[in-house]
Amino acid sequence: MKDLCPNLWWALLWGCSLLTLAVLPFVANDYIVGIGLTLLMWLALTQSWCLLSKMTGYVSLGHVVFYGIGAYLVVVTWQEIALPLAILGAGLLAALVAALVGLPVLRVRGPYFVILTFGLAELVKYTITWIESALGMASRILFGAPDLPVIYFSMFALALVSVAMLTWVGSSRFGHGLRSLRENEEAAETLGVPVARYKLIAFVLGAAIPGMVGAVMALRSTYFVVGQVFDPMISVTVIAMAILGGGDNARGPLLGVIFLSLLSEMLWVNAPLLYLVILGAILMVFVLVVPNGLLGLFERKRAPAGARPPADTAA
Amino acid sequence: MKTLLTVQGLGKKFGGLVALRDVSFEVGEGQIIGVMGANGAGKTTLFSLIAGNVEPTSGDIRFDGRSILGLRADQVCRLGVARTFQIVKPFPMLTVLENLRTAAMFGKAQIHDRERADTVAHGVLQEVGLAPMAHQLASTLTLSGQKRLEIARAVTTGARLILLDEVMAGLTPTEVAQMLQTLRHLQATRGFTLLVIEHVMRALMELCEHIVVLHHGELIAQGTPDAIAENRNVLAVYFGEQA
Amino acid sequence: MAVLDILLSGQLLFAALVTGSLYALIALGLNLVYGTMRMLNVAHGDVVMLGAYGAYWGFTLMDIPPLLAAPVVAGLGGLLGWALYRGIFQRLLSGGDGTSAARLESNSLLLFFGLSIILQNATALVFTPNNRAYNYLGTVYHLGGVAMTGNRLAALLVAGTACIAVALFLSRSVFGLATRAVIERREAAHIVGVDVDHVQRLSFILGFGSAALAGVLISMLGQFSPFSGFPFTIAGFIVIILGGLGNAMAGLLAALLLGVIETYGVALTSANMRSVLLYGAFVAALLLFPNGLFARRATTR
Repeated sequence: MKDLCPNLWWALLWGCSLLTLAVLPFVANDYIVGIGLTLLMWLALTQSWCLLSKMTGYVSLGHVVFYGIGAYLVVVTWQEIALPLAILGAGLLAALVAALVGLPVLRVRGPYFVILTFGLAELVKYTITWIESALGMASRILFGAPDLPVIYFSMFALALVSVAMLTWVGSSRFGHGLRSLRENEEAAETLGVPVARYKLIAFVLGAAIPGMVGAVMALRSTYFVVGQVFDPMISVTVIAMAILGGGDNARGPLLGVIFLSLLSEMLWVNAPLLYLVILGAILMVFVLVVPNGLLGLFERKRAPAGARPPADTAA
Repeated sequence: MKTLLTVQGLGKKFGGLVALRDVSFEVGEGQIIGVMGANGAGKTTLFSLIAGNVEPTSGDIRFDGRSILGLRADQVCRLGVARTFQIVKPFPMLTVLENLRTAAMFGKAQIHDRERADTVAHGVLQEVGLAPMAHQLASTLTLSGQKRLEIARAVTTGARLILLDEVMAGLTPTEVAQMLQTLRHLQATRGFTLLVIEHVMRALMELCEHIVVLHHGELIAQGTPDAIAENRNVLAVYFGEQA
Repeated sequence: MAVLDILLSGQLLFAALVTGSLYALIALGLNLVYGTMRMLNVAHGDVVMLGAYGAYWGFTLMDIPPLLAAPVVAGLGGLLGWALYRGIFQRLLSGGDGTSAARLESNSLLLFFGLSIILQNATALVFTPNNRAYNYLGTVYHLGGVAMTGNRLAALLVAGTACIAVALFLSRSVFGLATRAVIERREAAHIVGVDVDHVQRLSFILGFGSAALAGVLISMLGQFSPFSGFPFTIAGFIVIILGGLGNAMAGLLAALLLGVIETYGVALTSANMRSVLLYGAFVAALLLFPNGLFARRATTR
């Protein structure tokens, strides 16, 4: 809990945010609720990304692949199996895929891991595109999807689970092992940390949530296009939000998600390209100049000299 | 005295390069054994093999009676073997205390509760003189401090056998004296067995009761410090043959 | 077309050669930047795209033939490289704040990724996202039953010459020797008196310049948009992973191999498979060489 709300300000921020989001469908129109839904989606995605990439230092640029797999499962099993089952199945399928590719993939280090995960996501995207065209499907439409409130609260639950998961891992022995291997993998293994196993567990845990998020979002748009659910910009946005926020706990993503969601909301309708240019610039600026993110900026001011800054990797 | 570690016919080849060839010796429980040799003699390779960082190409290693051949580094650590690295490998962005916490949680001690692990870690910090820096980032320590951190980490795992790889390198004479004192104190209170690679002769001779000499990957001599100082093979290697 | 016909087709061989030579040129630039600075320039393909736009505007607005504009565009690319090095990356390299080398490489990758996003979307903003194309040297020549358009021949010749020129430069000149030294072991090169900063700067300039040149050539061959740069980055990476670092000869062969895989692969299956093949090769290469582009790095960190 200390990681989540180290002081009154944070308790206030979390409380207000969650409360606002919880009552939104009851007080606001569909457009606003849509914004809230998107925010919850990014929160869930970014928290789950941090579980692997911030804790272990293995920066994944392919997070969207689990999202897309989850969406695809729902679409392919549409009206064949009960929806709640499909959503859970999406999470399980994503976790299974992670478990299968995890071992060879996690043996690759540093920047190669980054581009490998990117390449994997793209490979899956193009493979499914090819499968769909071979099946003769240009796109799929889902009829009879649930209403917005149902979708909204499903996402709310996923975001909560995501935050809880990251917080729990962060304060557990498992989490300390992850941080240790992030700092120096060989030393960590020599001190008894089962490095390969822990990396894989983090990878699998971090895959389940985006799978379910993708499944739920498929219900929202009802119009399924492979290129959209496997859009690499989703991966990039997640990374940007995490870097913007900073830190390896649940607080940073909250800041990053709120900030970028607001920015995107302001620009997306009229100037989507401009928004992307700014996103790229944010990425560059924060990596170069503010590696500890917004969290680093805020929390450095209140910490006395000599104390440690929030444990962080810029990437 | 019980035999804790047996190295038998140990060999390691890296492609065409023979790093170690047919090395055999024993280490008894509670002993302090020195490993000596010129650079490239295979000393660090020996440690990497024992600790499980690298797999041998031939021979056997037995710890406490059972073979640890083929075990991973983390498995070997849990059995009770810890090592330090010649080029220190701290966890730079974790605090000094958190560095030790890892050892307490994941080493042989296997203390899963964070509070208890930190208490144990604090104890070791006191003994190595790093207590005032407990909440500083490990990257801010001086070299002497980081070397002490390496040792502290190894000790905190609760290991029965600790491999020290050139912990004196780069230290001033005063620091060397302090380090010797710290090591003796730690060993006396915790009773672990030490295998020490050293170039600083004074440290080696003062600390160790038995020395093993490696040269070009082979064990060319072993014995007490005095015996080694007079051994013909050792002298030939270090000073050259006399006509 | 029967499989054997496909495999023996001179037409496809020519296409593979053209593609391969362009990949070789692109990989060369990538190799230089990565080799000397250990930074993966994921914006490399976008510089190619910029070069294509440069040639396009030169031709459509000012009637300048692309082959004539090529040196100018390449020079502008080099200038961009210089500016980026001075402005951003020089600082990143010298800044030693305790970050490990691997983390620095990951950080630089994200930097380049941000740059890539900026380049793609700024170009789309300014020039619209629409596809562009123009017609130049479109006459078809026939040689031994193979139909070759003039622009494809020109691309092959220019790319091939550029690659050979750079390869010779690396292996014969003193500066090339210095560059190879920095690629192999930067600290050691520094100690023996090589001006590492100078070498890195020139590598950046050459790297970006050759990318822009490749872009000019590519612009002659088909349509492109602000977003067509990225597949070239991927192709470049595959080549340097397969061919190894600083190894000009191996890089050339790897590029030709990739051109062959892609061209024949698509012919044997379908156009939709092109990306699957490309990324499949990419993933396979990285998984088979888990130490990435420099398997010799046996020292662990």
